[in-house]
Parts: sequence; structure tokens; C-alpha cells
Amino acid sequence: MSSADLAPRLAAYAARRMPAARGVEVRDLSRISGGASRQTFRFRLTWTEDGAPRERRMILRRDPPVSLIDTERRVEFEAYRAFFGSKVPVPEMIWLEEGTEALDLPFSVAAEITGFEAAPALLWTEAYLPAHETLARNKWTILGEIARADPFALGLDRVMPPPEPEGCWIRELDMWEAVLDADEAEPLPIARAAIRWLRANPPPPAQKIGVVHGDFRTGNFLYDRQGDIHGVLDWEMAHLGDPLEDLGWSLNPVWNFKRDLAGGLVPDSVAVAHWEAASGLQADPEAVHWWTLFNCVKGQAIWISSARAWIDGGNREPIMVLPAWGMQNPQDRAILKVMGHL
Amino acid sequence: MKPDIPAVLAELAGLVARNAAPDLDPAERAGALSLSAALLGMAAEAWDGAAQRLVEENRALRALLSDAGDRKGRDAALAGAEDEDLRISVLSAANARLRAGLIALQAAVEAEDSPEARALESRIWQELRLSTERRRMSSALA
Repeated sequence: MSSADLAPRLAAYAARRMPAARGVEVRDLSRISGGASRQTFRFRLTWTEDGAPRERRMILRRDPPVSLIDTERRVEFEAYRAFFGSKVPVPEMIWLEEGTEALDLPFSVAAEITGFEAAPALLWTEAYLPAHETLARNKWTILGEIARADPFALGLDRVMPPPEPEGCWIRELDMWEAVLDADEAEPLPIARAAIRWLRANPPPPAQKIGVVHGDFRTGNFLYDRQGDIHGVLDWEMAHLGDPLEDLGWSLNPVWNFKRDLAGGLVPDSVAVAHWEAASGLQADPEAVHWWTLFNCVKGQAIWISSARAWIDGGNREPIMVLPAWGMQNPQDRAILKVMGHL
Repeated sequence: MKPDIPAVLAELAGLVARNAAPDLDPAERAGALSLSAALLGMAAEAWDGAAQRLVEENRALRALLSDAGDRKGRDAALAGAEDEDLRISVLSAANARLRAGLIALQAAVEAEDSPEARALESRIWQELRLSTERRRMSSALA
């Protein structure tokens, strides 16, 4: 469906959801590049209400037929809703449509957070260099706030099944190894060796069952030149589990962007200290090491899944090839580094 | 690299042709073409050295499998073969068989408790490290 076809159908949907609105229109609908797991568009919604003209900038996220990450959109939607208005900045969720009648595919609509950046590459341009320490403190403090949150009080256990503290690691490892088994297009000896090590050296039970964002990294939040963070995005892989899982993903060396710093920003020890201070949890070094290596395996599973989706013909968009070609080798090298073989 | 380079290039040819249409959203066109450019750059970088990399790696893997003796997990047939057909698709298929053989061998060696096993394990890790050097691209994302 082209943008020209999409706009009137989206406007009709919005009009049904806003019975007091008149003259609802979708304007300036344009696709945002990237977004391998959802098709993402920005637009302006305009309408008249109580005789006054209204306008709001919004984001439409529509499921593609085959995505990089097969996720439950309800889980993602509820995760955003749970943290809206908290110390974890997230955009306001407006509508979730799980049916296919309105736009052929399920979708969600959120308020757009405007005026900030998400692209990692900008962070190493001159204007942003002085903000690195502040940005890092904010980044791992927010991650610590996610870890501190009580998922049961937030009601997230209704949509995210909670594991037992001692079972977090095996549930996640089983799940991502199964992805590798199903999707690998060629044998992956480095990832397989890592999996054998992970199974032979399990981590301690989780200190608590917390919310795991699942993809918290540089590139998945909106930031400014002062190092403030205005929105944490991409909750597609949110689940309940060991909060150290998120810390390990943030320390996966592929997110260093070719710099020997966590997130390309600060030494790992600084990142961990910010996380501990905000979360109130301990980051046992051996447990963090396990979860970092696990997340290297998870990363490899995600990259090879994009290759599989392309090879099988379900999604032939170039964004599906980019991680397959551009991330598999860095991820293998990250595994070697974390295991002490590089 | 998977997906295979020729298949991706064929797909990109169609995508570029579609983006020549005049009535496309400029933002969508820019997104599609910038991604295509990044992939074309990666394909160009990988193409020239692909056969050399595969031949070199297949040779190294056969040597490892050959030196593994009659250990459990070792596939003797893999150790004795040679690359006679130098088409990349054929070399890649042989490489996949050899890497599968290496996984089985490494798992077997890890379970062994002997100085010889540790020495072989060390050689396997060395080869795995070299394999990532062979596959490294300047245009990698991370």
C-alpha cells in the first residue's frame, strides 16, 4: 500500500476513534527509513473539535508481512503505556489496532516526539562529543530505572509471562538458540561454541523479576546535544526476566560502534556504576559477563533471522540484508572478545 | 555472506528501477537508495576476495580436521577432500560442510581431558579468530 493509499484509510480509522472530531485528515504522511521490525511513518493528524482546529504529530507503526523480530504488538504497546509519565521517557501510545480491516495489517499509533536525534553516528560528531558523559549517565540511569520498576505493580505480568528467578537464563537461551536452529543459513561455529559455554556455566538466579526492554542500546533512544534523553523507543522485545539481561545487551561490544567504550560513550565500569546506582541492584561481574555473552548470541540470532526472512522471500526490503551482511562478522568478533579469544 | 551476493544484487537492480518512477515519496526513495548504496558498497568489497577467502579457509579447516586423528566428532571424508571447482557457490557449500564438521570436532574436543585436546582446542580458536579476520569488512556496521 502506498502512502497515498494509506493516508485516507488512516484518517477514516482516526475518525472512528475520535467521535467528537470533525474533518479528520492525515497530512504529510511519510515513511521513516530503517525499522526492520515495523514499517514506521510520521504524519500530522488535523481535525476540528468544539469549533476549534486541532493538530497533532503522530507516528504510525505497522507490522510488515515478515519482520526482523516476530513480536507481539500488544506486549510492546503495554510496555510503552506502563512507563509513560515515569522517569523512563517514552512516547504516549494512542491507539493499538490488532485487526487487519483498517490498514490490512495490525498497527499502533503514538504521539511523535520531535526535535531530537536517534542516529548513533551523530554522537561522534564534534557537537555531541562534550555530552558523552552526561548522555551515558542518563542512558544507564534510565536502564536502571527500568530494572527498578515493579512489573507486577505495573500490570505487565498480564501480557508478559514471568519466569522464575532461577529460570530466566535458560528460557532466554533456549528461545534464541531455537531461532539460530531455525534460521541459520550456514553453520555458525563461534555462536555454537558460545552456547555450549553458556549452558556449562549458568549465571546465578535473578535478584528480582524485572522488566527487560530487550533492545536498549545507543540508537534506540532520542537524545539532544546536552546529553538528555527524551524517549526510549523500540520495545518490541520487552519481556519479564533478569534485569541483568538488559545491562548485558547494552554492553554487547557491537554497540561500541568500533570504539572500546560501552555504547561508544564510557568505559563499561562507568556504565555499570550508573546502572547499579539507579536500579538498586548488584551487577555481579561474572553474571554480567554471562549476560553479555548471551546477548552476543542473541544478537547473532537476530542478524541471521533477517537473512532468513530475505532468503525465504517473506521480506525483500534492503533493510533486511543490512544487518545480515553488516553485523554478523562484528557479532562473531564480539563473542570472541567476550570469551577472551580475540 | 548470506543472503548470497548475486541474489541481493538482482533484487537491488529491481529496486533501483522501481525508484526511477517519478511519483514516489522522496523520503521513501531516499531511504531505499541509501540502503541500496550501502549494500552495493559491501558487495563490492566482498566480491574480489571471496574465492581466495573460501579456498584459504577450507584449506585451514581441512588441516585441522586432518590433524584431529580419529577423535569422536571428526569427519574423515571432510578432511581428505580438495577444492577443485572454484565457483563461489561450490566453495561456499564446501565451507558450510567444513564449518559444520568443525562444530562437531570442537564440541568433542571440549569434552576430552588431555593436553592434546587442549592444544587442538587452542588451534580451533585460533582458526575461528582468523576466520573473522578473513570476513572482516571496512564497511561493517560495528
